[in-house]
Amino acid sequence: MQNNEEVLLKVEHLCQYFGSGQFVTKAVDDVSFDIKKGEVFGLVGESGCGKTTTGRSIIRLYDITSGNVYFKGIRTCAGTGAYRKNILEAKKEYKAKIDAASDAAEKDRLKKELDAYVAEQKKELKVASYDQKNCDKDYQLQQAAAVKAKYLPLLEKASGAEKAQLQAQYKDELRKAKKTRLTTQIQMIFQDPIASLDPRMTVREIIAEGLVIQGERNQEVIDKKVYEMLELVGLVREHAGRYPHEFSGGQRQRIGVARAIIMNPDLIIADEPVSALDVSIQAQVINLLNELREKFGLTILFIAHDLSVVKYFSDRIGVMYFGKMVELASSDELFAHPLHPYTRSLLSAIPLPDPEYEKKRKRIVYNPLAEHDYSVDKPSLREVSPGHFVQCNEAEYQEILKQLNK
Amino acid sequence: MEKKLQVNNLTVSFRTTDGKVQAVRGINFDLNKGETLAIVGESGSGKSVTSKAILGILAGNSIIEDGEIIYDGKNLLRISEDEFHAIRGDKIAMIFQDPMSSLNPIIKIGRQLTEAMILKGKVRQRESRKNFNTYLKLLEEQMIAANGGQRAAELKAKCKNFDKFEYKHLELEGAYNKAFEAAQDAVFELEALIFEISKKAAKDGVFRARKVADLAVDAIHEYVVKEEAEEIRILAKQIKSEAKLLNKQETADLTSLSSNLTRVNEILTAAVNKTAPNFFALGYFYTFGKEQLPNLPVDELNKFLRKYLDDNFMLDFIADAKKAIQFSAEASYNEKKEVIEFLKKYRPVFEKNPLDKKECLSAQKAFAKEVAESVDKMEIVKDSLAFAFASILEAEIEKYYKAVVNNAKEEARYAKQKAAYDAKVAKGKTPGMEVVPASILDLEQVRGNMLRQIDRLIEHYETKIANKDQRDYDAETVAVIDYLKANASGVVNKVTKSMAKKKAIKLMEEVGIAEPRKRYNQYPFEFSGGMRQRIVIAIALAADPDILICDEPTTALDVTIQAQILELINKLKAERHISVIFITHDLGVVANMADRIAVMYAGKIVEMGTAEDIFYDAAHPYTWALLSSMPDLDTNEKLDAIPGTPPNMIYPPVGDAFAARNKYAMKIDFERQPPMFQISDTHFAATWLRHPDAPKVEPPKSITDRIARMKERGAKDAE
Repeated sequence: MQNNEEVLLKVEHLCQYFGSGQFVTKAVDDVSFDIKKGEVFGLVGESGCGKTTTGRSIIRLYDITSGNVYFKGIRTCAGTGAYRKNILEAKKEYKAKIDAASDAAEKDRLKKELDAYVAEQKKELKVASYDQKNCDKDYQLQQAAAVKAKYLPLLEKASGAEKAQLQAQYKDELRKAKKTRLTTQIQMIFQDPIASLDPRMTVREIIAEGLVIQGERNQEVIDKKVYEMLELVGLVREHAGRYPHEFSGGQRQRIGVARAIIMNPDLIIADEPVSALDVSIQAQVINLLNELREKFGLTILFIAHDLSVVKYFSDRIGVMYFGKMVELASSDELFAHPLHPYTRSLLSAIPLPDPEYEKKRKRIVYNPLAEHDYSVDKPSLREVSPGHFVQCNEAEYQEILKQLNK
Repeated sequence: MEKKLQVNNLTVSFRTTDGKVQAVRGINFDLNKGETLAIVGESGSGKSVTSKAILGILAGNSIIEDGEIIYDGKNLLRISEDEFHAIRGDKIAMIFQDPMSSLNPIIKIGRQLTEAMILKGKVRQRESRKNFNTYLKLLEEQMIAANGGQRAAELKAKCKNFDKFEYKHLELEGAYNKAFEAAQDAVFELEALIFEISKKAAKDGVFRARKVADLAVDAIHEYVVKEEAEEIRILAKQIKSEAKLLNKQETADLTSLSSNLTRVNEILTAAVNKTAPNFFALGYFYTFGKEQLPNLPVDELNKFLRKYLDDNFMLDFIADAKKAIQFSAEASYNEKKEVIEFLKKYRPVFEKNPLDKKECLSAQKAFAKEVAESVDKMEIVKDSLAFAFASILEAEIEKYYKAVVNNAKEEARYAKQKAAYDAKVAKGKTPGMEVVPASILDLEQVRGNMLRQIDRLIEHYETKIANKDQRDYDAETVAVIDYLKANASGVVNKVTKSMAKKKAIKLMEEVGIAEPRKRYNQYPFEFSGGMRQRIVIAIALAADPDILICDEPTTALDVTIQAQILELINKLKAERHISVIFITHDLGVVANMADRIAVMYAGKIVEMGTAEDIFYDAAHPYTWALLSSMPDLDTNEKLDAIPGTPPNMIYPPVGDAFAARNKYAMKIDFERQPPMFQISDTHFAATWLRHPDAPKVEPPKSITDRIARMKERGAKDAE
């Protein structure tokens, strides 16, 4: 891990609800974390706990319900749900107050207060939805401006054949700049290497697709880059002309990795990249990801349920349970001192290649109703020791502190 | 140790357009009762093919070239599809890797779960009836024969009486079981419900409270809830009327409801912990007893009933049955002695080289007849060795004569191809062709197999005769009577649709599906991957199988659910004494489950041993590679991935199949296949490294380190 405190991705109060009205499923509910540049952040939890949804929300496969996601300091996702909820609640609250108020002046004052609050929330809402829609546009304009600033002075000075060449280059780059999107710097590797590759495209087409969409038209450049990527992930040039079904599982996953890194991303969201693979191939893919990480200083959001792999690969780990982040700590700390009962239950379920130990291993069952009493005091994510966050309420927080100080 | 399943020299290939893919190449293993055998290997190593061969569901282009799979005295590779219907899914069940493809997408989960139960219920009823009748008839015959034809009428009447009161017993027990199960279910539900109500977070509370009330009323029975019957009825009524409150549990006053529930829980818990009366004896008393049933506490009542039964019927019956069993056994011993002499006499026929086909076949036929006669009909557990002997011998003879023809052909082809190749080389051209080595079957080996079969049976029978005096006829008699009881209960226990639904819902709960009642009427697409796998497991368990084959059942699931499902399989294994074949590529999972482990590579078992042997003292480089390619919680160094891919099985390597990817490979590994070297009584490995002349090679450092760590941890835990 590089000792870098620069935050690459910041997720704030991310909520992703599905369905509407009575049947809302809170897939992700108020999750916050940030990922520093160059680190691997592991996200674990059982199936259906929302870890994949979190990953997909970050890369904007879903429009999030509320919360913010900042990538490189730019807000890429902004949900409006929170503001709408605020407005509704405020209106309800003030209505009761206004009804209770006796004199007209008081009523007037309250009404004004409400209007001011609503206006403020509406403004925030507007900004958020503008950001949600236009974060790429702003980024494109920025990029275009940079290209213009670079070429326009050069163009003025140049003349003749040189100028024509520069002109062409300028046009090409400007076109590309207008097509770039901020989110292409976040790339995803999917779980199932069979389902995530189009069976009717050759490997070359699959890997180059991103480049083509981004506006690259020069076939030579594309080929060169594709070959480079293939060699990087341990395949050979000849593989470019083949179709996905001609490869084994591990090789297909390598194609998935190549497709992600050809865009030169800063952040890779690896959604269970090794879960569907054999043990021996798992090791190959993990080693590959490790090499790439060292080579390019990639930042990786590693989503998985295999805790031994996550422990081996990640610097920090977040544990999710039913859409909530229940514990977040560095990987060594988390495995040495699990504090949340769910984490303990999760750790007790890891199978190890040691029959003696396995015969004695007792799985801890987690039953949230029996473990916590949240009827009065609602829980939140609190920092119990530097870098170690646990979802707990005040009473539990004190309990944990007592335990830690012992 | 009773052997449930034996796989000998199984060889399976697949016809493809490119040639014959040799998926499984001569594997041997056996499965004991109540043990878990894990088969570990990469994809394409032939582990799934093995399991599919056991279940008779290989793909259409498969060729079973050789081998035998013996289950319950039958060779599964040679029985008809009709016979297989009785075994597949019923005796041997399978959990598949991909839950989506093993569920029918257009049929509701509930129907898929109960389908087998209902079908099997009908068949089982018929079969049990048949079994019971035939066996009782057999017992009667033997009883009469044992007494030399005297007392025939008396003995016949005895058997008839047994039949009669056995039915009464089952009726009584059925009614009791219904009530007892209701009480059990109610207690189970109540504990959760009371707890949730105290937290004011009861899900689906109204329905559950009403259900509990119904169950409590169902539990009223003479031997379950008797004195408190009236109280229970009143409480149930109250609970039903108060249950509405749970709709608004946040605000409503629930003290009365929860106190009622607690009281019901108390009564039913006491009822569940009561001992049950001896229904077998009770059945006899009701059928033949002439007095009034005395009013006693259950324990004393049981003593009384037991004595009554023993005095009037059972002791005599047992004595007679024992005599019959002994008689039949003695008779079969004489037959067995004859068989041994017979086998020894005809053994020279198979010692000839080459074999005489006519002589062989006639000898085999005679063997079949003799051996069939020597089997003791009164034995409940069939002697698989004797049962399978004739068919195996026949198969071997067939193989021998096929090989005689094929070998000649192969040799001719090889010579021709080789000549063409050499001619091209001699001319200095590039040959542009490959000489496929002649696949010649070793005739000596086949002949050796036949002799071994004969010797094995002789030895088997000789040990049986030698151990004659140690036989415990008392225990056997008890087993016979238990067998009769079990078959009789199969007749009475009908499976109706509603019972199947109840059982299905129970199973769904057991495998950890929340809200099973709601889920029962859903389609597979409404379930997540883990849930689907649970359904598949529930379906497999619904039939109460003998052998459970799990083909990567947890690969698609996450850790907690994986742990739950493994625990579930372990629990069921312990409860029902089923044998499990567990196929996986994840060694971590295996450590938890397996008693023995077979590591497969390229269609062969390369190492086999107990879990401890494999994890603490692995011998084959492939096992090392598998172990070191998975990280555990203490791994920090780079993982040792296995380079390359498994070999193309159309042209399997001449030597050790793993040699090309093996950094410890020696020259001989590329030239000759290693035999199985025995390391200890339970531990075998097919690697030249275990040859006495081989250089000493240490396993990779990551493994030795890990073993050291494990030992350290073990020592720490022991303190």
